[in-house]
Amino acid sequence: MAAGDIALHSAEALAGPVGLERGLVEQCRRGDPHAFARLVALHEGMVFNLAARLLGETEEARDVAQEVFLQVFRTLGRFEGRSTLKTWIYRIVVNQCRNRQRWWRRRRKDRSCPIDALTPADEARLAEAGTRMEGPDERLERRERARAVQSALARLSFEHRAVLLLREVEGLSCEEIAGTLSLPEGTVKSRLSRAREALRRALPNGGEEVR
Amino acid sequence: MSACSRTRRHCSAYMDGDLDAGQARLVSAHLGACPACAAHLRSLRSAVEMLAETPRLESPEPIAPRVFDRLEVETRGAGLALILRPAWKARPLILPSLLPAAAVLVVVLGVAFALDRDAVPLPTVATRGAESWGPTGASGTESNPLFLSTEVSAPRVRTAAALTADLLDGLGETPLFVETVVARDGTVSMVTLLDGDSRHAGPLLEALRHERFEPGRRHGRPVAVSLYRLISRLDVFS
Repeated sequence: MAAGDIALHSAEALAGPVGLERGLVEQCRRGDPHAFARLVALHEGMVFNLAARLLGETEEARDVAQEVFLQVFRTLGRFEGRSTLKTWIYRIVVNQCRNRQRWWRRRRKDRSCPIDALTPADEARLAEAGTRMEGPDERLERRERARAVQSALARLSFEHRAVLLLREVEGLSCEEIAGTLSLPEGTVKSRLSRAREALRRALPNGGEEVR
Repeated sequence: MSACSRTRRHCSAYMDGDLDAGQARLVSAHLGACPACAAHLRSLRSAVEMLAETPRLESPEPIAPRVFDRLEVETRGAGLALILRPAWKARPLILPSLLPAAAVLVVVLGVAFALDRDAVPLPTVATRGAESWGPTGASGTESNPLFLSTEVSAPRVRTAAALTADLLDGLGETPLFVETVVARDGTVSMVTLLDGDSRHAGPLLEALRHERFEPGRRHGRPVAVSLYRLISRLDVFS
């Protein structure tokens, strides 16, 4: 299992018991640096993965992840606990990535999602992130699938990408996504439906040939 | 709307089990009878599964240290108390950072103006008597010389000795940037090559160590002063 998976699972374990999460937030508010370090360690894998998928650049994703935790640090005092800490952080990630994309667009840099332009190191990590015992053919196939998915994601709109990633990759419910994106739940469901269809069309042969 | 387009519109909700019982039955019945719509649902499921199975991307380097470095810079030890600060204090270090920056700028400009106004020709070589000074700590001493300013007069050459042509010819093409600390008794307590080719600078630096000055003065009292000079074969000035 990769380090990011461990972090994610730990974050999920933490987000579950509301009392534990509330305790961590309270410790952070009281100025306990160890509590904030724990909060960052628990969520950094999730934050980076989502940012990298939304923006398609690992370097940008690192910057965004840093900004996200700084914003968490600065605004934790205003976190009211109406959503879970995890979904609150997801909202910050999505907003930061959206702002960054708008910034690019304003400067006529068409970097809507160059996610298929990942570095060879990223691709190698992608290829090795799964079962490390698999053979070269399986590894190649995994890399091709990962590349096809990234390429398809790159062709979707930011909003479609966000709703798909939150649902299919991060495993949020439509209700949680609605809270994260500040949208009505019905809007999330219809957007998710259109996003899935857009993804299907963007994949080679609807995703069936590559598998 | 045809049955096929209605079914395909509901495929996503059908996958999630979000349709009510009646709608789900209709969709299920159509899928059983229409191979094209069944294939559509399969490809939709396949696309979603491909996305869900894509390995997570991991940062090549940990993010936490970057975050804590930034926090340390922003708060300079204020810690998480920043969370509870009012909004106008959200970036507490902007003003405090500007103040020392402005102070440094003022000092640099002051020194630059002073050096420019008090520029004197490079003095000739002189012989310095052997004498040592212990550090005294206060400013204006050999261990803590002053820069030139409106309050500090520039040291003036007392003993003249010309720099020989041989000495200057050995400098090469690169100019030398030299600091000379003129002690309170007018001798040179330190010569430091700040920039330039040190290989050929030795004889010149040795010559500069033997210069003798009328010391700089502040409020009438002799003080140690740092002189900064740029020396090249073509131009020699301080």
